[in-house]
Amino acid sequence: MDELKQVFLQESGEQLDALESLLLELEAHPDDETTLNGIFRAAHTIKGAAGMVEAVAVESFAHVVENVLDRLRNHEIAVTTELAALMLACTDHLRVLVASEAGTAQMGAAEIDAQTASLLARLRAFGPGGQVPQAPKTEEPGVQRIPSLQTGHNCWHISVRFGPEVLRQGMDPENFLRFLETVGNIRHVETLADRMPAVAEMDPELCYLGFEIALESAADKQTIEDVFAFVRDECQLSILPPNSKVNDYVELIESLPEDTLRLGEILVRIGALTADELSEGLRTQAMDDGEAPAAERHDKPIGEILVAQQVVQPEVVAAAVAKQTQVSEKKAQDAKLIRVPADKLDHLINLVGELVIAGAATSLLAHKRSDGELIESSSLLTRLVEEIRDASLQLRTVQIGETFNRFHRLVRDACKDLGKDVELVISGGETELDKSIVEKIGDPLMHLVRNSLDHGIEAPAVREAAGKNQRGTLLLNAYHDAGNIVIEVADDGAGLNRDKILAKAIERGLVDPDTHLSDREIYDLIFAPGLSTADQVTNLSGRGVGMDVVRRNLQALRGTINVSSQAGQGTRLTLRLPLTLAIIDGFLVVSANRSYVIPLDAVVECVERPEAEHERNYFNLRGQVLPSVCLRESFSLAGKRPARESVVVVQYAGQRAGIVVDRLAGELQAVIKPLGAIFRHLQGIGGSTILGSGEVALILDIPALIKISGQAEQRLLARPEQRSA
Amino acid sequence: MKTIMLVDDSATVLLSISGILSKAGFQVVTANSAEDGQKKLAAGTKPDLLITDLNMPGMNGIEFIKVVRQRAELRFMPILFLTTESQQSKRAEAKAAGASGWIVKPATADTLLNTIKLVLR
Repeated sequence: MDELKQVFLQESGEQLDALESLLLELEAHPDDETTLNGIFRAAHTIKGAAGMVEAVAVESFAHVVENVLDRLRNHEIAVTTELAALMLACTDHLRVLVASEAGTAQMGAAEIDAQTASLLARLRAFGPGGQVPQAPKTEEPGVQRIPSLQTGHNCWHISVRFGPEVLRQGMDPENFLRFLETVGNIRHVETLADRMPAVAEMDPELCYLGFEIALESAADKQTIEDVFAFVRDECQLSILPPNSKVNDYVELIESLPEDTLRLGEILVRIGALTADELSEGLRTQAMDDGEAPAAERHDKPIGEILVAQQVVQPEVVAAAVAKQTQVSEKKAQDAKLIRVPADKLDHLINLVGELVIAGAATSLLAHKRSDGELIESSSLLTRLVEEIRDASLQLRTVQIGETFNRFHRLVRDACKDLGKDVELVISGGETELDKSIVEKIGDPLMHLVRNSLDHGIEAPAVREAAGKNQRGTLLLNAYHDAGNIVIEVADDGAGLNRDKILAKAIERGLVDPDTHLSDREIYDLIFAPGLSTADQVTNLSGRGVGMDVVRRNLQALRGTINVSSQAGQGTRLTLRLPLTLAIIDGFLVVSANRSYVIPLDAVVECVERPEAEHERNYFNLRGQVLPSVCLRESFSLAGKRPARESVVVVQYAGQRAGIVVDRLAGELQAVIKPLGAIFRHLQGIGGSTILGSGEVALILDIPALIKISGQAEQRLLARPEQRSA
Repeated sequence: MKTIMLVDDSATVLLSISGILSKAGFQVVTANSAEDGQKKLAAGTKPDLLITDLNMPGMNGIEFIKVVRQRAELRFMPILFLTTESQQSKRAEAKAAGASGWIVKPATADTLLNTIKLVLR
């Protein structure tokens, strides 16, 4: 919301408060001029301010109120209890209208319109001659036909030219006007006598009259048209919806399912057009065509005809045309795609995996034979296999945008439920990742989004009090980073409450009260099972079963989740996931004659291990401390350490560690074969692969090893303390 | 008090509609055929509104409307005819004969009274 509107909301709030207290005062002292003037001024200020920010509904309603107050001030009418009560009701309604401008109204638009109509009807009794003065003129597109008819923003514009026989059929045109009053309030009637012939030629039994009617009504178009059902065939009738309804129609059009519909069908479906109006429009279209020679015949678009007939606003037609284009484009796009069952793709990926392994075996053999020609041809083969691998893996990738876009609805609905105002900002929607991963992150993401909406972003009033924009922001972002896809869910809400989490964790016995925890460690506690700091459990979240499940789901995908938060500033959850679950570029290392694969994306560099630092689980890397983990020790491998060991420096999510191995054996492509269920508890191993030689190699789980390296160093540090104690 | 003449050969329709109308404060004159209706009009009944069925033994409703419209004092009287959803084609014919509008059977009391309100002066 822009600044001007903010100021308007505040000012009108103040003026309405003043108006209310002055009205109460007026009831006690009906003759007090100062009070009366104050009341008039307040209403006038609201109207003026509303005009500045184009709050048309507020402006036109305030205008009518102001007119009645003006008569009161000029002593044309007297203060009665009835009038005072009406004025108070109008004040309340102005509040609602202002709230509606801010998008915080409790009532639906239809309800508000109905109330506006009923209050205007009551106000009319106090207008000059019982007639309410017209609402301020606003330039209304599409009603220029009768410039003298000033319709308010909320008025239906009905043009009717009765057939000459209407009187002979026992109908009185006046009856229709009276009957219209039962579906709404007639704000203005213009009688048209332009078809009236000279007196001598006039047949008093024929009807020459037409009417232009401004009707304020909450009824739908069909109901209004039904009033004229008996004369529909003989009269010319056009019913133009109020301009205030245009937005409703446009919204309805946008929410229509993506069926292929004709333009007219769309308009009829949303109620902007009645079936009769459509068939009349189509008849006109056919007639126009009939006059043109066959060769030059080209259909005038039905939309243009309908606008020309003044039965629908051009904006509504434009929205319907846009919808049609959107649907047909989508259809065309669909036609360019081939739907393939996922299992066929899985089978292909499997075969490519086998191909990679077989290719590696061939190239190994070629190198063993030292046959130059064979090596050359096998290296060409290897390159092609790599390309096939990448291309077939891409078949399974999809953009994450579609997953993100599903959250628009969730955010909108949740905002309504929670009374919050949140804008969802999506970036990086074009980032691609494996479809099997996309399918599995939907639920965790949904959970995180709900959490942010429910606990993260504060209610508008709280935000305002904290000096923040009333409207919260929820950011969904995705990008590629070193062989991973990173998904961020960030909000500008209250942030995690460090003390509350800690207190809760202690209460639940999750941590020892005496331990000193860093902020990061405390924030990580939100992933512990059974921890929820929400004071109230809502139907969205807060039951404390969520975050640990989210983390487990991500771990099952070889992914991780991190949280960072700043009190009062917001919370950011960062999810890291592998791009694919099937094949990775790996780096082969050997320890105790066994082969291990490190995902190549994680490898930073390889260095020789300095002999002097054998004892400790860290070493000096160009002046920096690098924690390290020795595969021999971690996996309890038999045999003596070789004299010269190598260190592979790996990195994950900003943390580095060294992995000490016997020997480096170079790059390879590894087809990931998951480990069986009984190995799931193994720490530091993420899967297995088959090498070209047929040997099985284990794939190292780098995040887990980095964690182990840190813990090992801590244990080592803790030991001397125990000894001294 | 406004007078409404109701013409229908079905005693049930006469009874139910006249019940609704009298309850709403109208004076109701009923006739069980077009001929009966004609007789009552000739005898001096001057209704403010005529409601007639279309399918009746003897003179049918459309003929009846034409005859009624020929009476000078009834030229501008509103005439409603009773019809069903399936008889849409009769509407144009009846309107051409001089009817003002129609009531679709079976009608609720609200629809009936609303329609009457629309045509009655």
